[in-house]
Amino acid sequence: MSRPGPFAATLLWLAVIVAAIVTVFPFYWMLNTSLKPASEVFLSPPGFVPAQWTLAAYATLLTERPFARYFLNSLIVSLGSTALSVALAALAAYGFTRFHIPGASALIVFLLFTKMLPETLLIIPYFRLMTELGLINTHLALILAYSSFALPFSVWMLIGFFRSIPREIDEAAIVDGASRLVAFFRVVLPLSRPGLVAVALFTFLISWNSYVWALVLTTDPSMFVLSVGIANMVGEYRVLWNELMAGAVIAAAPVMVLYALLERHLVSAITAGAVKG
Amino acid sequence: MFLAGVIVLPLAHAFWTSLHRIRGLTATFVGLRNYERVLEDEAFWHALGVSLRFTSISVAAHVLLGLGLALVLNELRVARTALRILFLTPWMVASAIGATIWLWLLEPQFGVVNHLLVTAGLVERPLAWLGEPGTAFAAVTAVEVWRGVPFIMLLMLAGLQTIPQEQYEAAAIDGATAVQRFRHVTLPNLRYLLVVASTLDIINVVRHYDIIGVMTGGGPAGATEVLPALLYNTAFRANRFGEAAAIGVMLLLMVLAFSIVYLRVTRIGRAEPGS
Repeated sequence: MSRPGPFAATLLWLAVIVAAIVTVFPFYWMLNTSLKPASEVFLSPPGFVPAQWTLAAYATLLTERPFARYFLNSLIVSLGSTALSVALAALAAYGFTRFHIPGASALIVFLLFTKMLPETLLIIPYFRLMTELGLINTHLALILAYSSFALPFSVWMLIGFFRSIPREIDEAAIVDGASRLVAFFRVVLPLSRPGLVAVALFTFLISWNSYVWALVLTTDPSMFVLSVGIANMVGEYRVLWNELMAGAVIAAAPVMVLYALLERHLVSAITAGAVKG
Repeated sequence: MFLAGVIVLPLAHAFWTSLHRIRGLTATFVGLRNYERVLEDEAFWHALGVSLRFTSISVAAHVLLGLGLALVLNELRVARTALRILFLTPWMVASAIGATIWLWLLEPQFGVVNHLLVTAGLVERPLAWLGEPGTAFAAVTAVEVWRGVPFIMLLMLAGLQTIPQEQYEAAAIDGATAVQRFRHVTLPNLRYLLVVASTLDIINVVRHYDIIGVMTGGGPAGATEVLPALLYNTAFRANRFGEAAAIGVMLLLMVLAFSIVYLRVTRIGRAEPGS
Protein backbone atom coordinates (compact mmCIF):
# COMPACT_ATOMS: atom_id res chain seq x y z
CA MET A 1 0.00 0.00 0.00
CA SER A 2 1.26 3.51 -0.69
CA ARG A 3 2.78 5.24 2.25
CA PRO A 4 0.42 7.84 3.73
CA GLY A 5 1.55 11.46 3.30
CA PRO A 6 2.55 13.54 6.32
CA PHE A 7 -0.92 15.04 6.69
CA ALA A 8 -2.67 11.67 6.54
CA ALA A 9 -0.08 10.17 8.88
CA THR A 10 -0.74 12.89 11.45
CA LEU A 11 -4.47 12.24 11.22
CA LEU A 12 -3.92 8.52 11.63
CA TRP A 13 -1.83 8.98 14.73
CA LEU A 14 -4.31 11.46 16.13
CA ALA A 15 -7.08 8.88 15.75
CA VAL A 16 -4.93 6.22 17.38
CA ILE A 17 -4.06 8.45 20.30
CA VAL A 18 -7.65 9.51 20.96
CA ALA A 19 -8.83 5.90 20.78
CA ALA A 20 -5.99 4.76 23.03
CA ILE A 21 -6.86 7.37 25.65
CA VAL A 22 -10.54 6.39 25.72
CA THR A 23 -9.57 2.72 25.90
CA VAL A 24 -6.99 2.93 28.61
CA PHE A 25 -8.07 5.91 30.68
CA PRO A 26 -10.43 3.86 32.90
CA PHE A 27 -7.54 1.56 33.80
CA TYR A 28 -5.28 4.49 34.48
CA TRP A 29 -7.93 5.97 36.72
CA MET A 30 -8.34 2.68 38.53
CA LEU A 31 -4.60 2.57 39.29
CA ASN A 32 -4.49 6.27 40.17
CA THR A 33 -7.38 5.99 42.64
CA SER A 34 -6.05 2.81 44.19
CA LEU A 35 -2.82 4.59 45.13
CA LYS A 36 -4.53 7.50 46.88
CA PRO A 37 -5.20 7.80 50.59
CA ALA A 38 -8.90 7.88 51.55
CA SER A 39 -8.76 11.64 52.19
CA GLU A 40 -7.74 12.31 48.59
CA VAL A 41 -10.46 10.22 46.97
CA PHE A 42 -13.29 12.54 47.87
CA LEU A 43 -11.73 15.71 46.54
CA SER A 44 -13.26 17.98 43.97
CA PRO A 45 -11.65 18.52 41.51
CA PRO A 46 -10.07 15.06 41.46
CA GLY A 47 -6.28 14.78 41.21
CA PHE A 48 -4.90 13.21 38.05
CA VAL A 49 -1.97 11.82 39.99
CA PRO A 50 -2.03 10.99 43.70
CA ALA A 51 -0.62 13.90 45.71
CA GLN A 52 0.53 11.37 48.24
CA TRP A 53 1.28 7.86 47.02
CA THR A 54 0.25 5.09 49.35
CA LEU A 55 -0.44 1.38 49.34
CA ALA A 56 -2.83 1.80 52.26
CA ALA A 57 -5.86 0.73 50.22
CA TYR A 58 -4.17 -2.56 49.30
CA ALA A 59 -3.09 -3.14 52.89
CA THR A 60 -6.65 -2.59 54.17
CA LEU A 61 -8.05 -5.02 51.60
CA LEU A 62 -5.64 -7.74 52.59
CA THR A 63 -5.80 -7.27 56.35
CA GLU A 64 -9.24 -5.91 57.23
CA ARG A 65 -11.20 -7.42 54.38
CA PRO A 66 -11.20 -11.03 53.15
CA PHE A 67 -9.51 -10.16 49.87
CA ALA A 68 -6.78 -12.74 50.23
CA ARG A 69 -9.58 -15.26 50.61
CA TYR A 70 -11.39 -13.97 47.48
CA PHE A 71 -8.16 -14.16 45.55
CA LEU A 72 -7.57 -17.73 46.71
CA ASN A 73 -11.14 -18.70 45.79
CA SER A 74 -10.74 -17.22 42.32
CA LEU A 75 -7.46 -19.06 41.89
CA ILE A 76 -8.77 -22.44 43.09
CA VAL A 77 -11.87 -22.23 40.94
CA SER A 78 -10.03 -21.03 37.83
CA LEU A 79 -7.21 -23.56 38.07
CA GLY A 80 -9.65 -26.34 38.92
CA SER A 81 -11.89 -25.68 35.96
CA THR A 82 -8.89 -25.26 33.67
CA ALA A 83 -7.48 -28.63 34.68
CA LEU A 84 -10.82 -30.41 34.44
CA SER A 85 -11.83 -28.79 31.20
CA VAL A 86 -8.51 -29.29 29.40
CA ALA A 87 -8.28 -32.93 30.48
CA LEU A 88 -11.83 -33.76 29.37
CA ALA A 89 -11.56 -31.70 26.19
CA ALA A 90 -8.32 -33.42 25.17
CA LEU A 91 -9.81 -36.89 25.68
CA ALA A 92 -13.04 -36.00 23.91
CA ALA A 93 -11.28 -34.36 20.99
CA TYR A 94 -8.97 -37.34 20.66
CA GLY A 95 -11.97 -39.63 20.54
CA PHE A 96 -13.61 -37.47 17.89
CA THR A 97 -10.57 -37.49 15.64
CA ARG A 98 -9.32 -41.07 16.06
CA PHE A 99 -12.44 -43.19 16.36
CA HIS A 100 -15.46 -43.46 14.17
CA ILE A 101 -18.33 -41.90 16.10
CA PRO A 102 -21.76 -42.03 14.47
CA GLY A 103 -23.19 -38.56 13.97
CA ALA A 104 -19.86 -36.92 14.80
CA SER A 105 -20.32 -33.93 12.52
CA ALA A 106 -23.77 -33.18 13.93
CA LEU A 107 -22.27 -33.40 17.41
CA ILE A 108 -19.58 -30.93 16.45
CA VAL A 109 -22.15 -28.42 15.21
CA PHE A 110 -23.99 -28.95 18.46
CA LEU A 111 -20.79 -28.10 20.35
CA LEU A 112 -20.67 -24.75 18.60
CA PHE A 113 -24.29 -24.13 19.30
CA THR A 114 -23.88 -24.67 23.03
CA LYS A 115 -21.23 -21.97 23.04
CA MET A 116 -23.96 -19.50 22.15
CA LEU A 117 -26.48 -20.33 24.87
CA PRO A 118 -27.46 -17.42 27.12
CA GLU A 119 -25.75 -18.07 30.43
CA THR A 120 -28.52 -16.46 32.44
CA LEU A 121 -30.83 -19.24 31.21
CA LEU A 122 -28.43 -22.00 32.22
CA ILE A 123 -27.98 -20.48 35.64
CA ILE A 124 -31.51 -21.33 36.73
CA PRO A 125 -31.19 -25.11 36.34
CA TYR A 126 -27.63 -25.01 37.68
CA PHE A 127 -28.75 -23.12 40.73
CA ARG A 128 -31.56 -25.57 41.44
CA LEU A 129 -29.37 -28.57 40.69
CA MET A 130 -26.58 -27.37 42.94
CA THR A 131 -29.08 -26.55 45.68
CA GLU A 132 -30.46 -30.07 45.55
CA LEU A 133 -26.98 -31.58 45.55
CA GLY A 134 -25.97 -29.35 48.45
CA LEU A 135 -23.13 -27.87 46.42
CA ILE A 136 -24.01 -24.20 46.88
CA ASN A 137 -21.02 -22.40 48.40
CA THR A 138 -18.49 -24.95 47.23
CA HIS A 139 -15.62 -24.55 44.82
CA LEU A 140 -16.80 -27.68 43.06
CA ALA A 141 -20.06 -26.05 41.97
CA LEU A 142 -18.19 -23.23 40.24
CA ILE A 143 -15.59 -25.56 38.76
CA LEU A 144 -18.34 -27.69 37.21
CA ALA A 145 -20.19 -24.65 35.94
CA TYR A 146 -17.15 -23.02 34.31
CA SER A 147 -15.91 -26.29 32.83
CA SER A 148 -19.25 -26.90 31.23
CA PHE A 149 -19.18 -23.42 29.81
CA ALA A 150 -15.66 -23.67 28.43
CA LEU A 151 -15.72 -27.29 27.36
CA PRO A 152 -17.60 -27.17 24.03
CA PHE A 153 -15.29 -24.57 22.59
CA SER A 154 -12.21 -26.32 23.97
CA VAL A 155 -13.19 -29.63 22.42
CA TRP A 156 -13.82 -27.92 19.15
CA MET A 157 -10.46 -26.11 19.16
CA LEU A 158 -8.58 -29.29 20.01
CA ILE A 159 -10.33 -31.30 17.32
CA GLY A 160 -8.75 -28.90 14.86
CA PHE A 161 -5.33 -29.40 16.39
CA PHE A 162 -5.55 -33.18 16.63
CA ARG A 163 -6.73 -33.45 13.03
CA SER A 164 -3.60 -31.66 11.90
CA ILE A 165 -1.50 -34.44 13.48
CA PRO A 166 -1.37 -37.35 11.04
CA ARG A 167 -3.01 -40.49 12.36
CA GLU A 168 0.02 -42.45 11.13
CA ILE A 169 2.15 -40.93 13.89
CA ASP A 170 0.17 -42.42 16.76
CA GLU A 171 -0.45 -45.59 14.80
CA ALA A 172 3.30 -45.96 14.38
CA ALA A 173 3.67 -45.64 18.14
CA ILE A 174 1.02 -48.31 18.65
CA VAL A 175 2.77 -50.65 16.22
CA ASP A 176 5.93 -50.10 18.27
CA GLY A 177 4.09 -51.56 21.24
CA ALA A 178 2.63 -48.47 22.94
CA SER A 179 -0.97 -48.61 24.08
CA ARG A 180 -3.53 -46.13 22.75
CA LEU A 181 -3.31 -44.05 25.89
CA VAL A 182 0.47 -44.00 25.91
CA ALA A 183 0.44 -42.94 22.27
CA PHE A 184 -1.98 -40.18 23.19
CA PHE A 185 0.04 -38.88 26.12
CA ARG A 186 3.51 -39.34 24.66
CA VAL A 187 2.92 -38.47 21.03
CA VAL A 188 -0.25 -36.53 20.37
CA LEU A 189 -0.36 -34.24 23.40
CA PRO A 190 3.22 -32.91 23.11
CA LEU A 191 2.62 -32.16 19.44
CA SER A 192 -0.48 -30.12 20.17
CA ARG A 193 1.02 -27.97 22.89
CA PRO A 194 0.03 -24.60 21.31
CA GLY A 195 -3.56 -25.77 21.17
CA LEU A 196 -3.50 -26.95 24.77
CA VAL A 197 -2.01 -23.65 25.93
CA ALA A 198 -4.67 -21.68 24.06
CA VAL A 199 -7.48 -23.79 25.47
CA ALA A 200 -6.11 -23.65 29.01
CA LEU A 201 -5.69 -19.90 28.81
CA PHE A 202 -9.17 -19.50 27.41
CA THR A 203 -10.73 -21.54 30.20
CA PHE A 204 -8.69 -19.82 32.88
CA LEU A 205 -9.74 -16.37 31.68
CA ILE A 206 -13.41 -17.32 31.36
CA SER A 207 -13.40 -18.68 34.90
CA TRP A 208 -11.39 -15.84 36.38
CA ASN A 209 -13.56 -13.18 34.72
CA SER A 210 -16.91 -14.78 35.35
CA TYR A 211 -19.32 -12.93 37.56
CA VAL A 212 -22.96 -13.92 37.41
CA TRP A 213 -22.40 -17.66 38.03
CA ALA A 214 -20.41 -17.00 41.15
CA LEU A 215 -22.97 -14.41 42.22
CA VAL A 216 -25.72 -17.01 42.12
CA LEU A 217 -23.84 -20.09 43.29
CA THR A 218 -22.18 -18.53 46.35
CA THR A 219 -23.96 -16.81 49.20
CA ASP A 220 -21.38 -17.19 51.94
CA PRO A 221 -18.91 -14.26 51.86
CA SER A 222 -16.01 -16.59 52.60
CA MET A 223 -16.70 -18.33 49.29
CA PHE A 224 -16.88 -15.18 47.14
CA VAL A 225 -14.55 -14.88 44.20
CA LEU A 226 -12.92 -11.54 43.38
CA SER A 227 -15.51 -10.26 40.91
CA VAL A 228 -18.38 -10.90 43.32
CA GLY A 229 -16.48 -9.57 46.33
CA ILE A 230 -15.68 -6.36 44.50
CA ALA A 231 -19.14 -5.82 43.03
CA ASN A 232 -20.56 -6.40 46.50
CA MET A 233 -18.53 -3.53 47.93
CA VAL A 234 -20.38 -1.17 45.58
CA GLY A 235 -23.56 -1.74 47.53
CA GLU A 236 -22.06 -0.62 50.81
CA TYR A 237 -23.30 2.45 52.61
CA ARG A 238 -20.22 4.53 51.97
CA VAL A 239 -18.12 3.25 49.09
CA LEU A 240 -14.38 3.63 49.65
CA TRP A 241 -13.36 3.96 46.06
CA ASN A 242 -9.63 3.70 46.64
CA GLU A 243 -10.13 0.27 48.21
CA LEU A 244 -12.58 -0.74 45.52
CA MET A 245 -10.13 0.27 42.80
CA ALA A 246 -7.29 -1.55 44.56
CA GLY A 247 -9.52 -4.62 44.44
CA ALA A 248 -10.09 -4.06 40.73
CA VAL A 249 -6.31 -3.86 40.21
CA ILE A 250 -5.85 -7.15 42.06
CA ALA A 251 -8.52 -8.79 39.91
CA ALA A 252 -7.35 -7.33 36.61
CA ALA A 253 -3.58 -7.64 37.03
CA PRO A 254 -3.27 -11.43 36.57
CA VAL A 255 -5.39 -11.25 33.44
CA MET A 256 -3.28 -8.46 31.98
CA VAL A 257 0.00 -10.23 32.81
CA LEU A 258 -1.14 -13.56 31.34
CA TYR A 259 -2.47 -11.80 28.34
CA ALA A 260 0.65 -9.74 27.68
CA LEU A 261 2.82 -12.85 27.99
CA LEU A 262 0.70 -15.17 25.88
CA GLU A 263 -0.92 -12.71 23.51
CA ARG A 264 -0.08 -14.68 20.39
CA HIS A 265 -1.75 -17.88 21.62
CA LEU A 266 -4.81 -16.07 22.77
CA VAL A 267 -5.33 -13.95 19.69
CA SER A 268 -5.16 -17.00 17.47
CA ALA A 269 -7.67 -18.75 19.71
CA ILE A 270 -10.07 -15.80 19.64
CA THR A 271 -9.94 -15.27 15.89
CA ALA A 272 -10.10 -18.98 15.16
CA GLY A 273 -12.98 -19.36 17.56
CA ALA A 274 -14.95 -16.54 16.04
CA VAL A 275 -14.36 -16.86 12.34
CA LYS A 276 -14.38 -20.60 12.16
CA GLY A 277 -16.70 -21.11 15.01
CA MET B 1 -21.04 -38.07 27.99
CA PHE B 2 -19.87 -35.39 30.34
CA LEU B 3 -20.91 -32.84 27.76
CA ALA B 4 -24.34 -34.36 27.60
CA GLY B 5 -24.46 -34.16 31.38
CA VAL B 6 -23.38 -30.59 31.77
CA ILE B 7 -25.21 -28.97 28.86
CA VAL B 8 -28.17 -31.05 27.79
CA LEU B 9 -29.37 -31.88 31.27
CA PRO B 10 -29.53 -28.29 32.52
CA LEU B 11 -31.10 -27.22 29.26
CA ALA B 12 -33.80 -29.86 29.57
CA HIS B 13 -34.21 -28.88 33.19
CA ALA B 14 -34.67 -25.25 32.12
CA PHE B 15 -37.46 -26.25 29.74
CA TRP B 16 -39.02 -28.35 32.45
CA THR B 17 -38.82 -25.44 34.89
CA SER B 18 -40.51 -23.16 32.38
CA LEU B 19 -43.55 -25.47 32.47
CA HIS B 20 -43.85 -25.55 36.25
CA ARG B 21 -44.63 -23.29 39.12
CA ILE B 22 -41.80 -23.45 41.61
CA ARG B 23 -42.39 -22.89 45.31
CA GLY B 24 -39.28 -23.68 47.28
CA LEU B 25 -38.55 -27.29 46.41
CA THR B 26 -42.02 -28.21 45.16
CA ALA B 27 -42.97 -27.86 41.53
CA THR B 28 -46.47 -27.97 40.07
CA PHE B 29 -47.02 -28.61 36.39
CA VAL B 30 -48.77 -25.59 34.89
CA GLY B 31 -48.33 -26.19 31.16
CA LEU B 32 -47.75 -23.02 29.21
CA ARG B 33 -49.10 -20.78 31.97
CA ASN B 34 -45.66 -19.26 32.62
CA TYR B 35 -45.33 -18.25 28.98
CA GLU B 36 -48.81 -16.77 29.04
CA ARG B 37 -48.01 -14.74 32.11
CA VAL B 38 -44.72 -13.51 30.71
CA LEU B 39 -46.29 -12.54 27.39
CA GLU B 40 -49.08 -10.70 29.19
CA ASP B 41 -46.58 -8.86 31.35
CA GLU B 42 -45.68 -5.40 30.13
CA ALA B 43 -42.25 -5.77 31.72
CA PHE B 44 -41.37 -8.45 29.18
CA TRP B 45 -42.26 -6.31 26.17
CA HIS B 46 -40.51 -3.37 27.72
CA ALA B 47 -37.37 -5.47 28.30
CA LEU B 48 -37.55 -6.76 24.74
CA GLY B 49 -37.58 -3.16 23.51
CA VAL B 50 -34.67 -2.18 25.74
CA SER B 51 -32.75 -5.26 24.59
CA LEU B 52 -33.34 -4.40 20.93
CA ARG B 53 -32.17 -0.82 21.39
CA PHE B 54 -29.22 -1.79 23.56
CA THR B 55 -28.09 -4.51 21.17
CA SER B 56 -28.57 -2.62 17.92
CA ILE B 57 -26.80 0.53 19.11
CA SER B 58 -23.95 -1.43 20.70
CA VAL B 59 -23.40 -3.73 17.73
CA ALA B 60 -23.53 -0.88 15.21
CA ALA B 61 -20.97 1.05 17.25
CA HIS B 62 -18.78 -2.01 17.75
CA VAL B 63 -18.65 -2.74 14.05
CA LEU B 64 -18.13 0.86 12.88
CA LEU B 65 -15.50 1.74 15.46
CA GLY B 66 -13.87 -1.68 15.35
CA LEU B 67 -13.53 -1.52 11.57
CA GLY B 68 -12.28 2.08 11.72
CA LEU B 69 -9.70 1.27 14.35
CA ALA B 70 -8.54 -1.81 12.46
CA LEU B 71 -8.11 0.24 9.27
CA VAL B 72 -6.07 2.82 11.14
CA LEU B 73 -3.91 0.27 12.93
CA ASN B 74 -3.35 -1.58 9.71
CA GLU B 75 -1.80 1.55 8.17
CA LEU B 76 0.73 1.97 10.94
CA ARG B 77 4.26 0.79 10.42
CA VAL B 78 5.41 0.94 14.03
CA ALA B 79 4.12 -0.19 17.40
CA ARG B 80 1.36 -2.27 15.85
CA THR B 81 1.63 -5.25 18.19
CA ALA B 82 1.97 -3.06 21.29
CA LEU B 83 -1.10 -1.06 20.26
CA ARG B 84 -3.06 -4.19 19.51
CA ILE B 85 -2.33 -5.47 23.01
CA LEU B 86 -3.27 -2.11 24.48
CA PHE B 87 -6.53 -1.85 22.57
CA LEU B 88 -7.62 -5.32 23.58
CA THR B 89 -7.48 -4.74 27.34
CA PRO B 90 -11.13 -3.72 27.88
CA TRP B 91 -12.15 -6.99 26.34
CA MET B 92 -9.71 -9.10 28.36
CA VAL B 93 -10.58 -7.72 31.76
CA ALA B 94 -13.75 -9.05 33.38
CA SER B 95 -16.91 -7.14 32.42
CA ALA B 96 -17.84 -6.97 36.09
CA ILE B 97 -14.51 -5.29 36.89
CA GLY B 98 -14.74 -2.94 33.91
CA ALA B 99 -18.26 -2.01 34.98
CA THR B 100 -17.06 -1.34 38.54
CA ILE B 101 -14.36 1.00 37.26
CA TRP B 102 -16.96 2.86 35.20
CA LEU B 103 -19.19 3.19 38.26
CA TRP B 104 -16.42 5.21 39.83
CA LEU B 105 -15.69 7.23 36.69
CA LEU B 106 -19.39 8.12 36.47
CA GLU B 107 -19.88 8.78 40.18
CA PRO B 108 -22.02 11.94 40.35
CA GLN B 109 -20.14 13.98 42.94
CA PHE B 110 -16.49 12.98 42.70
CA GLY B 111 -16.41 11.09 39.40
CA VAL B 112 -13.88 12.21 36.82
CA VAL B 113 -16.29 12.11 33.87
CA ASN B 114 -18.52 14.79 35.36
CA HIS B 115 -15.44 16.80 36.30
CA LEU B 116 -14.13 16.71 32.73
CA LEU B 117 -17.51 17.51 31.19
CA VAL B 118 -18.12 20.45 33.52
CA THR B 119 -14.60 21.79 33.01
CA ALA B 120 -14.99 21.55 29.24
CA GLY B 121 -18.30 23.38 29.53
CA LEU B 122 -20.24 20.53 27.91
CA VAL B 123 -22.70 20.24 30.79
CA GLU B 124 -23.66 22.92 33.28
CA ARG B 125 -23.72 20.83 36.39
CA PRO B 126 -22.73 17.28 37.32
CA LEU B 127 -25.09 14.59 36.04
CA ALA B 128 -26.42 11.71 38.09
CA TRP B 129 -25.60 9.32 35.25
CA LEU B 130 -27.16 6.18 36.61
CA GLY B 131 -29.98 7.95 38.42
CA GLU B 132 -31.93 9.08 35.33
CA PRO B 133 -33.44 6.65 32.82
CA GLY B 134 -32.04 8.38 29.73
CA THR B 135 -28.48 8.88 30.92
CA ALA B 136 -28.40 5.47 32.57
CA PHE B 137 -29.22 3.78 29.29
CA ALA B 138 -26.63 5.91 27.50
CA ALA B 139 -24.04 5.08 30.15
CA VAL B 140 -24.44 1.29 30.10
CA THR B 141 -24.50 1.33 26.30
CA ALA B 142 -21.29 3.37 26.24
CA VAL B 143 -19.61 0.89 28.56
CA GLU B 144 -20.77 -2.00 26.39
CA VAL B 145 -19.34 -0.20 23.35
CA TRP B 146 -16.05 0.37 25.18
CA ARG B 147 -15.86 -3.29 26.04
CA GLY B 148 -16.87 -4.73 22.67
CA VAL B 149 -14.97 -2.66 20.10
CA PRO B 150 -11.63 -4.46 20.63
CA PHE B 151 -13.08 -7.84 19.71
CA ILE B 152 -14.40 -6.61 16.36
CA MET B 153 -11.15 -4.70 15.80
CA LEU B 154 -9.17 -7.88 16.28
CA LEU B 155 -11.29 -9.81 13.79
CA MET B 156 -11.13 -7.02 11.23
CA LEU B 157 -7.38 -6.70 11.64
CA ALA B 158 -7.04 -10.41 10.93
CA GLY B 159 -9.32 -9.98 7.92
CA LEU B 160 -7.42 -7.00 6.53
CA GLN B 161 -4.22 -8.99 6.55
CA THR B 162 -5.70 -11.62 4.26
CA ILE B 163 -6.48 -9.13 1.48
CA PRO B 164 -3.97 -9.64 -1.34
CA GLN B 165 -1.66 -6.65 -1.78
CA GLU B 166 -1.91 -7.01 -5.57
CA GLN B 167 -5.52 -5.84 -5.48
CA TYR B 168 -4.45 -2.57 -3.89
CA GLU B 169 -1.57 -2.19 -6.30
CA ALA B 170 -3.86 -2.78 -9.26
CA ALA B 171 -6.30 -0.22 -7.88
CA ALA B 172 -3.48 2.28 -7.36
CA ILE B 173 -2.33 1.82 -10.96
CA ASP B 174 -5.88 2.51 -12.11
CA GLY B 175 -5.63 5.78 -10.19
CA ALA B 176 -8.13 4.90 -7.46
CA THR B 177 -8.37 7.28 -4.53
CA ALA B 178 -8.17 6.03 -0.95
CA VAL B 179 -11.97 6.13 -0.65
CA GLN B 180 -12.37 4.16 -3.88
CA ARG B 181 -9.81 1.61 -2.75
CA PHE B 182 -11.77 1.17 0.45
CA ARG B 183 -15.08 0.77 -1.36
CA HIS B 184 -13.95 -1.48 -4.15
CA VAL B 185 -11.14 -3.49 -2.59
CA THR B 186 -11.37 -3.49 1.21
CA LEU B 187 -15.12 -3.71 1.70
CA PRO B 188 -15.85 -6.52 -0.76
CA ASN B 189 -13.01 -8.54 0.75
CA LEU B 190 -14.29 -7.97 4.26
CA ARG B 191 -17.98 -8.49 3.54
CA TYR B 192 -18.04 -12.09 4.72
CA LEU B 193 -16.14 -11.26 7.89
CA LEU B 194 -18.39 -8.28 8.61
CA VAL B 195 -21.50 -10.47 8.46
CA VAL B 196 -19.90 -13.12 10.68
CA ALA B 197 -18.61 -10.59 13.19
CA SER B 198 -21.91 -8.71 13.43
CA THR B 199 -23.93 -11.89 13.92
CA LEU B 200 -21.55 -13.15 16.56
CA ASP B 201 -21.59 -9.79 18.27
CA ILE B 202 -25.40 -9.68 18.31
CA ILE B 203 -25.38 -13.09 20.01
CA ASN B 204 -22.81 -11.91 22.52
CA VAL B 205 -24.48 -8.61 23.37
CA VAL B 206 -28.09 -9.75 23.53
CA ARG B 207 -27.32 -12.36 26.19
CA HIS B 208 -24.75 -10.31 28.12
CA TYR B 209 -25.65 -9.51 31.69
CA ASP B 210 -22.58 -8.58 33.73
CA ILE B 211 -22.22 -4.89 32.83
CA ILE B 212 -25.85 -4.03 33.45
CA GLY B 213 -25.95 -6.37 36.43
CA VAL B 214 -23.14 -4.50 38.15
CA MET B 215 -23.97 -0.96 37.04
CA THR B 216 -27.74 -0.68 37.39
CA GLY B 217 -29.31 -4.12 37.89
CA GLY B 218 -31.87 -2.99 35.31
CA GLY B 219 -32.90 0.32 36.87
CA PRO B 220 -33.75 3.11 37.19
CA ALA B 221 -37.41 2.40 36.51
CA GLY B 222 -36.47 -0.44 34.17
CA ALA B 223 -34.61 1.87 31.78
CA THR B 224 -31.73 -0.59 31.42
CA GLU B 225 -33.67 -3.80 32.05
CA VAL B 226 -32.60 -5.92 29.09
CA LEU B 227 -33.95 -9.47 28.82
CA PRO B 228 -31.08 -11.14 30.72
CA ALA B 229 -31.54 -8.58 33.52
CA LEU B 230 -35.28 -9.22 33.62
CA LEU B 231 -34.56 -12.94 33.73
CA TYR B 232 -32.11 -12.55 36.59
CA ASN B 233 -34.42 -10.26 38.55
CA THR B 234 -37.42 -12.52 38.02
CA ALA B 235 -35.50 -15.60 39.15
CA PHE B 236 -33.26 -14.38 41.92
CA ARG B 237 -34.99 -11.25 43.24
CA ALA B 238 -38.65 -12.20 42.81
CA ASN B 239 -38.07 -15.96 43.15
CA ARG B 240 -40.33 -16.73 40.21
CA PHE B 241 -38.19 -19.42 38.60
CA GLY B 242 -40.86 -20.76 36.28
CA GLU B 243 -41.49 -17.42 34.63
CA ALA B 244 -37.77 -16.67 34.52
CA ALA B 245 -37.15 -19.94 32.71
CA ALA B 246 -39.90 -19.04 30.24
CA ILE B 247 -38.17 -15.69 29.58
CA GLY B 248 -34.92 -17.60 29.17
CA VAL B 249 -36.41 -19.98 26.64
CA MET B 250 -37.66 -17.06 24.58
CA LEU B 251 -34.25 -15.39 24.80
CA LEU B 252 -32.76 -18.70 23.73
CA LEU B 253 -35.01 -18.78 20.66
CA MET B 254 -33.79 -15.32 19.66
CA VAL B 255 -30.17 -16.34 20.09
CA LEU B 256 -30.87 -19.56 18.25
CA ALA B 257 -32.19 -17.67 15.24
CA PHE B 258 -28.94 -15.70 15.02
CA SER B 259 -26.87 -18.82 15.68
CA ILE B 260 -28.45 -20.47 12.67
CA VAL B 261 -27.59 -17.45 10.54
CA TYR B 262 -24.05 -17.63 11.88
CA LEU B 263 -23.64 -21.35 11.27
CA ARG B 264 -25.12 -20.98 7.79
CA VAL B 265 -22.82 -18.14 6.83
CA THR B 266 -19.69 -19.78 8.17
CA ARG B 267 -20.79 -23.15 6.79
CA ILE B 268 -19.33 -24.80 9.81
CA GLY B 269 -21.52 -27.83 9.35
CA ARG B 270 -19.65 -28.63 6.19
CA ALA B 271 -16.17 -27.30 6.85
CA GLU B 272 -13.52 -29.19 8.75
CA PRO B 273 -13.18 -27.75 12.24
CA GLY B 274 -10.04 -25.77 12.78
CA SER B 275 -9.12 -25.95 9.11
